[in-house]
Amino acid sequence: MLRTVLSDLARLRLNGSVCSVTQVREKGHLNRPRLRNPYWFIRQQRSQTDDQVTGENRSFIKEVIHDTYGTPALIKGVQTYEQKQLIKTNELPVPTEPWTPAVRRCGVIARKIGQYPLWLKNGERIRTTLLQVVDNHVIKYIPPEEYKPTQRPNVHNLNRYGCVLVGAESTNPAQLTKEYCGIFRDSGVMPTKNLARFIVSPQAALAPGTPLNVGHFRVGEFVDVRGKTVYHGFQGVVKRHGFKGMPASHGVTKTHRRPGNIGGGGEKGRVWPGTKLPGHMGNRWRISKGLRIWRINTKYNVMWVQGSAVPGSTNGLVYIYDTILPLRKPQAALPMPTLYEQPEDEAPDDIWYEQVHNFKDESITYKPE
Amino acid sequence: MAAATKLLKKSLVGISQIQQYRNIAKSAISASNGHRNELFNQERRRQQDAVGRLEKIEVRYLGLPEDVTLVMNNNISTPFNCAQHLSEGHCKRSALALIDGSVPWDMHRPLQESCTLQLLNFNVSDPHLVNKAFWRTCSFMLGAALQRVFKQEANLQLHSFPGPNIKSGSFVHDIVLGVQNWEPTKAEMRAISAEMVKLAAQDLCIERLEVDLDLATEMFKDLRYKSEQIPSIAQQHQNRVTLYRLGDHIDISRGPMVASTRFLGKCTVLAAHKLANEGASDAFYRVQGVALPAGFALNHFAYGLLEQRAQKLNPARLPNEPFEEQRQMQLS
Repeated sequence: MLRTVLSDLARLRLNGSVCSVTQVREKGHLNRPRLRNPYWFIRQQRSQTDDQVTGENRSFIKEVIHDTYGTPALIKGVQTYEQKQLIKTNELPVPTEPWTPAVRRCGVIARKIGQYPLWLKNGERIRTTLLQVVDNHVIKYIPPEEYKPTQRPNVHNLNRYGCVLVGAESTNPAQLTKEYCGIFRDSGVMPTKNLARFIVSPQAALAPGTPLNVGHFRVGEFVDVRGKTVYHGFQGVVKRHGFKGMPASHGVTKTHRRPGNIGGGGEKGRVWPGTKLPGHMGNRWRISKGLRIWRINTKYNVMWVQGSAVPGSTNGLVYIYDTILPLRKPQAALPMPTLYEQPEDEAPDDIWYEQVHNFKDESITYKPE
Repeated sequence: MAAATKLLKKSLVGISQIQQYRNIAKSAISASNGHRNELFNQERRRQQDAVGRLEKIEVRYLGLPEDVTLVMNNNISTPFNCAQHLSEGHCKRSALALIDGSVPWDMHRPLQESCTLQLLNFNVSDPHLVNKAFWRTCSFMLGAALQRVFKQEANLQLHSFPGPNIKSGSFVHDIVLGVQNWEPTKAEMRAISAEMVKLAAQDLCIERLEVDLDLATEMFKDLRYKSEQIPSIAQQHQNRVTLYRLGDHIDISRGPMVASTRFLGKCTVLAAHKLANEGASDAFYRVQGVALPAGFALNHFAYGLLEQRAQKLNPARLPNEPFEEQRQMQLS
């Protein structure tokens, strides 16, 4: 108990300014949970009043939306619109800069759609989580000189990086506010339900309107996945901090799942700030770092990542980035700034990591001794 | 470009409310406008006094909550007075009155004989009459807003506004400006729209007055284009000219207007198309806008479609072409 208290002391950050968001268990202080967006954020959903519009006019407005943006279509397994305003050229944009380990690339917005086992060629069974990249388009790129956010992200030397605004899941603009739709006006992309910013190097800048697919990542490489954890409500110490609790019987009186002792005595005889006690659990943004991509499906924009540690529930939004873990950085070059898919490409639907057993291959056989 | 931005008054943000209206009052009521209003007031008082002995008429009101017969004063009581006998809600909601099931009537115009009365609002099953009155009122208010918004140096003269055509997608007011190269900027259009909204917020009553040819000529003797139009208008209406007043702005119009400016809801003035040059330094412009009645909510996308439509040049009759020739062309 004393050792943990001492380690807490060592890690206590006494400066009140924005500290790095650590997920170390014995954190010396509580995070102030940011539960609401700042007041200056643009409101997204307009209050749904009954528009007094005749049925004929309603279908006319729908027709106009389809003429402007394209008819609704199932693209890569996601219900979206055709995006007529985006120019689809056959020539690939000339890649300006090659990938280097120092370059910071854009990420993608995805949905966690479930979990599935995969088998490796040595017979080992691994748990994987399926993440589907849902209709991502670049909305805006802000160069480093202009990017001065009020809420600074936790990035070292932020003034060297620009910001790419990415939108996911196109939606009917009539249900959104005019100010929110104004964000998408210049890009020609249909307004989306979700927006995210990604801090990127200027070499990895992307043009507005560029679609981002799962081919942006390579199998075998590692990603960090950020999501909002499942909300458990007010939970006790056993579930929240993994305390052992007390025996269920053998004379134990009225104490089975309680924390027990919460402090020492002596001169500093008080409960230390940061002591693990019951409280609200979940509904926090957490990043799972260093998850390997085992398999990619380009037809439905799905990637299989290692384990079940992706925060959030099924169909929850997650944000995928190239990993920051130094020992899991990519060995080979990554698509820079992203993979531009062409319809004539004969890329295979399924891309498996070399260690993973492809279901369509022969089963593993053992030679008799 | 420099000439254009100098035409509209600087925004009055930052000045107190009272000072704002004093500024508007000072600059808007020029001497001739004051004289016009004086004559209007005198004539209205004279017409009221000329009624003489009170006669009673029976006005049969048809509608909610129930059909009733009201006994009102001939040539004094207005449909608004009838609504006052019913409820405050009737007074606030009624935009136009319908006499004998077919004749649209201004809410503040005295009734002339026993009749049946219906009070129309924008939610009736057949709103085409009240819609047209609304469109006409929007054009009228646009004239008032333009008078307030332009500076003296612009030499603004209101010409006229054509009859309402809702299907065209915009309401229109034709003006003559003292510059020939005015290309309105978005900020200027927004300023004019803001002025319309201010007029609506002031809840100004729209009064009607029928005057004869001589008084009309006297009232509009300083305005060139109105003076030219008055004789032909009077000719078609038995030497009578119908005037409407909104605040201190007076204009000539045939048809009924809605009861008050508060019925204007969302409004955007969108374009000022140049039609033709007039003389050495002036030019005709057609100012167009679109509006919804108060209480109608519409999402920004649908309203944006209405705005796009309203920006196109309205095909109503042009002010610089002679009206008689136009009529002949239409007939043939």
